[in-house]
Formats: sequence, structure tokens, C-alpha cells
Amino acid sequence: MLQLLESIAASSQTWIELRYHARRSKRLVVRNGLVEESSSAELTGVGVRAFVDGAFGFASTSDLTRDGIERAVDIAQSTAKASAAAKRKRIERLADADLARGTFPLETDDPLDAHSLEEKLALIQQLDAKVRESSPLIVSSEASYAEMVDEKVIVTSDGAAAVLHDAKPAVRVLAIAGRDGKQTRSLETLGITGGWSELLGAKSPDAMVENAVRHAVDQLDAAPATGGVFQVILDPELVGILAHEAIGHTVEADFVLGGAVTADKLNQRVASDLVTMCDFGGSVYGPNAVGLLPVDDEGVPNERTVIIEDGVLRAFLHNRETAAHYRVPPKGNARAYTYRDEPIIRMSNTYIEPGESTLEEMLAGIQDGYFLRGLGQSGQADSNAEFMFGVHEAWRVRDGKKAELVRGVTISGNAFDTLQSVDAVGDTFSWEYGAGFCGKGQPAKVDGGGPYVRCKLTVGGEQEGRDA
Amino acid sequence: MPRSELLDLCKQAVSQGKSLGADLVEAFGQSVDSVSSTIEKHDMQISKSQQERAIGVRAFVGKRVGFASTNRVDRLDEACRDAVALAKISPEDPHNVLPDPSEVSPIADLYDPASADFTAAEAVQKATAILEETERTDGRVIVNDASFDVTIGNTAIANSLGLEAEQRGSLFLYWVFATARDGDRVSSFDFQFGATRQVDEIDVAKPVHRVCDNVLVSLEAEPGESFRGTVLLAPAAVADILVGALLFQLNARNALRGRTRWKDAIGESVAANSFSLVDDGRLAGGVATSAFDREGVPHQRLALIEEGRLASHIHNAYSAHGTGETNTGHAAGGAQSLPGIGPTNLAIAPGAQSSDALISEVDRGLIVQRYSGNVDPISGDFSGAVKAARLIEGGQLGRPVTGTLISGNVFDVLQRISGISKDRERIFGQTLPYVRLEDISVSA
Repeated sequence: MLQLLESIAASSQTWIELRYHARRSKRLVVRNGLVEESSSAELTGVGVRAFVDGAFGFASTSDLTRDGIERAVDIAQSTAKASAAAKRKRIERLADADLARGTFPLETDDPLDAHSLEEKLALIQQLDAKVRESSPLIVSSEASYAEMVDEKVIVTSDGAAAVLHDAKPAVRVLAIAGRDGKQTRSLETLGITGGWSELLGAKSPDAMVENAVRHAVDQLDAAPATGGVFQVILDPELVGILAHEAIGHTVEADFVLGGAVTADKLNQRVASDLVTMCDFGGSVYGPNAVGLLPVDDEGVPNERTVIIEDGVLRAFLHNRETAAHYRVPPKGNARAYTYRDEPIIRMSNTYIEPGESTLEEMLAGIQDGYFLRGLGQSGQADSNAEFMFGVHEAWRVRDGKKAELVRGVTISGNAFDTLQSVDAVGDTFSWEYGAGFCGKGQPAKVDGGGPYVRCKLTVGGEQEGRDA
Repeated sequence: MPRSELLDLCKQAVSQGKSLGADLVEAFGQSVDSVSSTIEKHDMQISKSQQERAIGVRAFVGKRVGFASTNRVDRLDEACRDAVALAKISPEDPHNVLPDPSEVSPIADLYDPASADFTAAEAVQKATAILEETERTDGRVIVNDASFDVTIGNTAIANSLGLEAEQRGSLFLYWVFATARDGDRVSSFDFQFGATRQVDEIDVAKPVHRVCDNVLVSLEAEPGESFRGTVLLAPAAVADILVGALLFQLNARNALRGRTRWKDAIGESVAANSFSLVDDGRLAGGVATSAFDREGVPHQRLALIEEGRLASHIHNAYSAHGTGETNTGHAAGGAQSLPGIGPTNLAIAPGAQSSDALISEVDRGLIVQRYSGNVDPISGDFSGAVKAARLIEGGQLGRPVTGTLISGNVFDVLQRISGISKDRERIFGQTLPYVRLEDISVSA
């Protein structure tokens, strides 16, 4: 395939990018002891992007013959011309980059294919059964396994020629507890880049079951949270969510050029000087983050981007088009989800660097606040950095100590105001955001994480509480 | 590709699956031919073309089921082998059945032949019209993303019980995602779209005007007020807060899993008497209209909630077998996934008053265009931020507010509906009115 794509690219009269992407997925779902899904899927094809007269066109095909791919090239070039005719500000050029050549294998000693579907099914059947056996209050259980195994060949007419192998497995455990007509749910998730042993080594599946059951059962007795502005501790998952959803999207250069709140804030203070926030597709603070990405879908090798340095906004995230506009080198943030999608600006692994405080010190500094763990059922952030996230599990903190569990907590605010309020950053780190997908027109596997962070924000809860 | 060719591939997969040892086989095929044009950063971004076909094969070995899909017709044999092999390793489930074949009567006007002539250049023209209409409406509004897509889709299904059905549809889908900026003030995002199956019904101006209204309101917003009282949900907020939880409860698969409070509630009161909900898979002009569901069962019009009382769950073959209720033809999904359960064209019945009249009766309250937050479909608890919201004071629209959260419980508020508007909006497959709720917690 590499030779075929290189030969087609070499004969093109315009800039083109050819991406062969073969994806094999498997999904197993067990609910209440019954197998709800055992499925496999193949999605394979070539996506072609052409750059003509300062505009892009894109065509995809699952016809992998030379004729089929060349036909897609023709369509991509003609749709690029149609776009160019309507484009007001034509793209002058794509940024130069030291484009990737060679093969980029997945680093694992234990590939997913070496393990049978029977073995994977047996694991989730056990987890599903354990959820129900763990407490008489559990009324429903679910465990699922999903894997995506990708092979890509990325060729551009200006020199990229890369072959990439990737595998991303994920496990989810859901417990639903019930009593007196009231039900509560708790979902624990794990997702990584790597093989089978790396998946099982990243987090104990039994611990996922214990956490899910404990949380679902405890929620039955939890009181509603009191709303208002509070000092809180965010766990690494919420820190990852805040970094990705609330800040990260506002520094994607396509959103910046579209009018995001960061547009004129480069080199200005946007956070407490305790905050340094980065995006990086390589290994840092742990080997198997789900957003690992040696080379992006434009053929650009991924490098670390320091977005906020000691509280000052330093950089946006780019593809080759926006990097040329801002006259900075691209660092490999353009990705497409399937062969049918064109590459767009995406985060990889987005995180806040650890600091120096212990969790005990951070708790001790709170008179009246909350300790918040994990993302609840939903979350959303806006281009003005306003966010609202549901919280998975929340405890009141009084006089420096974790107190009662509360339910129904949401947090909201402006992410930059929240980061300005950070007064302690923890000394540990974990990746926590790997099982889900980021949605931006197309899905993408991304990770997020960081240390514990202490800050001030609005907690949503019952109205009879104090107000801001 | 010609329709008959897609149906032939399905029939080929069925006989292949049978020859590999499956007792029952179903094959669902989809082909897509689409052109789209995308605006980003307030300018033309890219135009795209896609051609793909995919076949999903469901194999039953006794009461064991496996599923495999492929978008490569040359590897259809492999998908059949995978489906049978997956069935063989899965445990038995007595409710794994295919529906009995029934006569499928075709629906007119799903396909507009003019869609076949729609070129990339025309898609570019329509997308550009979204941008130009936005600029004509208000110069402060920036189109972050917008798109105009035309898709011609064929679906075909065959199973080993003798079912064969196929249909063709066209869909024009256009949407706009925008913010407003005025000096240092940046508004919230807003997102609106339109959809139709007919070329002459395309109206890109409508979502543009609505998106502009909403982002301009949020541009002026100041912090709100805390109170407990009346909240009027606009149709999009009704979709955000109420519809998801309703659908979770109505989904018979969830009832079968023991997850819903409405499992044995047929005939019982679940909402105020003024509240009725219907699903109609054959609705004329509905974007979710089609002759048959993901398992080949004919679509129908079905009352789900009648004057506050639960009238029916929605089923596919599995849940109907599991609960002993009638299959309602709500198997949902495409060729690359197993049949799930989902609605088609869902509608809340209109009330007697206009939305303006509903506002005029409120002494102090909040009108909410969009909602961004949690809704737990099991407990019904919701808590989240309101978007493009305004206070209502003395029966009049007051100032726009931001940073305001609302919370409550869906099942409680359904019983406390104090008004439903007669004016309704179509939000993709849903036709929804304004719904006025009482005793909602509002915190600023």
C-alpha cells in the first residue's frame, strides 16, 4: 500500500495527502449475566485530501485499487476547486515540517490479537458477575470491552511516507444500586494505548468493580449537595477534563481563529502561576495514555506543546494550515477518526503538570468545601471557556477533613477564572480520561490528567444553600 | 450503487451464513453517496465527497448471536465467518429472535430525484448562503462551523425467514454553530440546524436567524438571580432535559434490564394530564421517516403517553420477546451496529395556549432556550447550566442571564407541568412545544 500511495502522490499535479486506514474493532458487552453484544467490524479505505488554489477538497473510498484511489484523487481535486471559488481568504501555504518517514510500531509485548475473544469475554463476564455478587443492593450490572486496532499509511506529495500501528483497548464497569424505588448508577472506565497486559496492568479490574459498587450503593444514602461558591479539590480526572474540555478546546487554533476567548491572550496571564498545562502525544508521567500519537494524520511528528507556562498562555494547538498562519512550527495535532474523515486539529494527551503539595496539605487548607472525584454523566464547555461538568462522586470537606458523601453535584464557571483561583497543585499524577471519546464533528481518542488541584468554583446543588 | 445490488449482497450474506452453520441469519446493507461543504472560522473550509457501502451480518446459532460488519464487499465472506464464530462463543439468551416477516409498504417522497444531480459546487453555494445570511443578520456573529450536506442513502435487509425489503432516501442536512463577539464580550456557543428530504424545502435562513438570536441574547447576559419557581423550557431545552429521560424509560430493553421505573407502569399516570407523546415512523416529511426498522419491521404511528398515562414502551424483536409485549418496530441503528431500540419521529402534543401566553402568566420566572448539564435518566435528577436564558418579570421577558444553574427531577416536574404551548418546533426527528414547569430550583 505504501508503494501504491507513493506512486499516486508522485504523479499528482497538486498537493495531495493520501491516508490508508484499516480499522478492526471488537466489542463485547455483558449485562446482568447476558451477552448483549459480541461484534466485530472492519472499516477500511483511503481518504484523499487535495490542496488546490488555496482551498481543500476531500474524498474517501473503500475501493483500494489504483483506479479507485485515483478516482478519489480526481474528486478531491475538483471539490477543492469548488471550495476555492467560494473561499474569501485563501490559504497561502501549509507550514513546512520535518515530515515523518518510516514505520512506527505499537510498543507492546502482548498484542491484543494474541488473546482470544473467549478470554476477553470471560473477563467481562467475571466482572459483570462480581458487580452483582458484591452487594444485595445492586439491581443491574454491566461490563464491556472494546478494542480498536489500526494500521495507517500516510503519504503526502511533499514527502511524508509513514506506516503506523496502533491499538486502543478499553474496559467499562457499570453498577446500578436500588432501594425503595430509588436507583443510583456508577460507571468506572479504563482505556489505554497498548496491549492486553498493559490494559490489565493500568488499573485492577477488581478495583474497578469495587469502586463502582461502593459508589452506587453509597449514593443511595447521600444527601443533596449545597450550592454556592466553594473551595474544592479536583481529582486528576476532573483536572484532565478541565484541561481538555474547558481550556484545551479554546486553544485549538481553528477555534481561536473562529473567535475563541483566547484569541488575544497569548503571552498574558490566564492562570495562577502554579499552573503549567501541556498537550503531548508522547509518553510522559506514564507509558500508556490513550492519546499516544507518534505522527499525526498530516504526517507531522508529534511534539509537546506547553500551552500555559507558570500561568501565562504560551501557545495554541495547530495543523499545518494554522501553523503557517501563526508562523510557528506544527507539532502534530491534526487527526482524522476514520478514513472517511479529513484531519482536523485535535488534542492528544492534555494535562496539568504536578506541583509540590500533598493531598493532606491541600485538604487541610479547606474550612468548608468539597472533594470532587471524576466526571459525572455529562459535561460541556464553551468557546468563552465557560464550563459545566457533572461530578461522579463528591464529599463535603469541613475543617480540613473529608466529611459526608453528597449527590447531584455539578461544577461550573469560567475555566480561566478557575485556573486563576488555583492555590495548590498536588505532587502526584495520573491519566484518567482514556475510555471515552472527544467529539468535535468526528470522535477522537484523547487522554487527560494531572495532579490533584485546589481551586474555587461554583458548585450546583439544592437552592436552599448559600449563594455566591 | 443500484438498490437491487445491495439487496443481492444481503441475500448472499444470508446464504453464506447459513452454509457456515448459522440457524438464522440477517443481513442489513447501507450505501451512502454524499457531498458536503463546510464553513469554519467564518470562511469556506472544505468540500467533501463520500461513497461507501457496508453490510452487517447477524448470525444466530440456536439462541446464541454474533454480529460482524464490513465496508469491504470483497471481504463479506470473512464478516459472515466472524459473525458465526462470535455466535458460537456467546452464551445462549432465550430472547435472541428474529421478528416474524411482515409486509412492508413503501413510503412516497423519501427520495427526491433532484438530489442525485446535486453537485459539490451547489453544496458550496448553499454553505456560503449560511455565511452570508449570518452577516446580513448581525455583523457581530461569527460562524465557527457550518455545513451543508446532501446524502443519498439506500438500505436493504434480508433474513433467512424470507424477509426482503429495500428503500432509498435523500436527506439535506444543514447546520450552523456560532458565537458573537462585541469588544471584549464573547457569547456562549449556539447550534441550530435544519433538515429536509426535498430540494425545494431547503431553508438555510431559519437556523441562521435562530442561532443569531440566541448568541446575541447571551452576549448581553449578566449574572442571574436565585429563586425557586417557574421555568419555561423552549423546545431545544425540552429536548435537552426531558426527552432523553423519557426515551430511557420508554425503551423496553431498559425495562427488561430492570433499570426503569416505568417497567410495569402501562396505564399509570407518569405526567400531567396535559402531556401526550406520540412516535410516528411514517410521518409525512419526517426526517426519521422510513418504511421499516433495522430488523425489517414496518414502522407505524404509536401513542406512547396519552393524557399523562403511559400507553406503550418502544420495542425491537428482543425486548418484545423478553417482555411478552408487542413488537412496535423500533429497532434502530445501521449496518455497522447491532439493532438497538430508538424512536423515529417523536412529538409532544400541542397545548391550547401560545408560548407568549404562557410567558404572560408568569410573575417571576426564567425562560431557557438551551440546557447544558446532567440528566440522570434513572433517578430523573437533573442539574446544569442554562444557555440563552432570560428572566420573566410581570409576564414580560426580562434581562438575559448567564452563570445560572437549574436543578430538579424529571419525573417530578412532568407531574408539575403548568402549560404546553400550541406552537411547536421540529428539532431533527422531534416536534416539541414550549413546556412550563413549576417549583424548579434556580441558582445563580
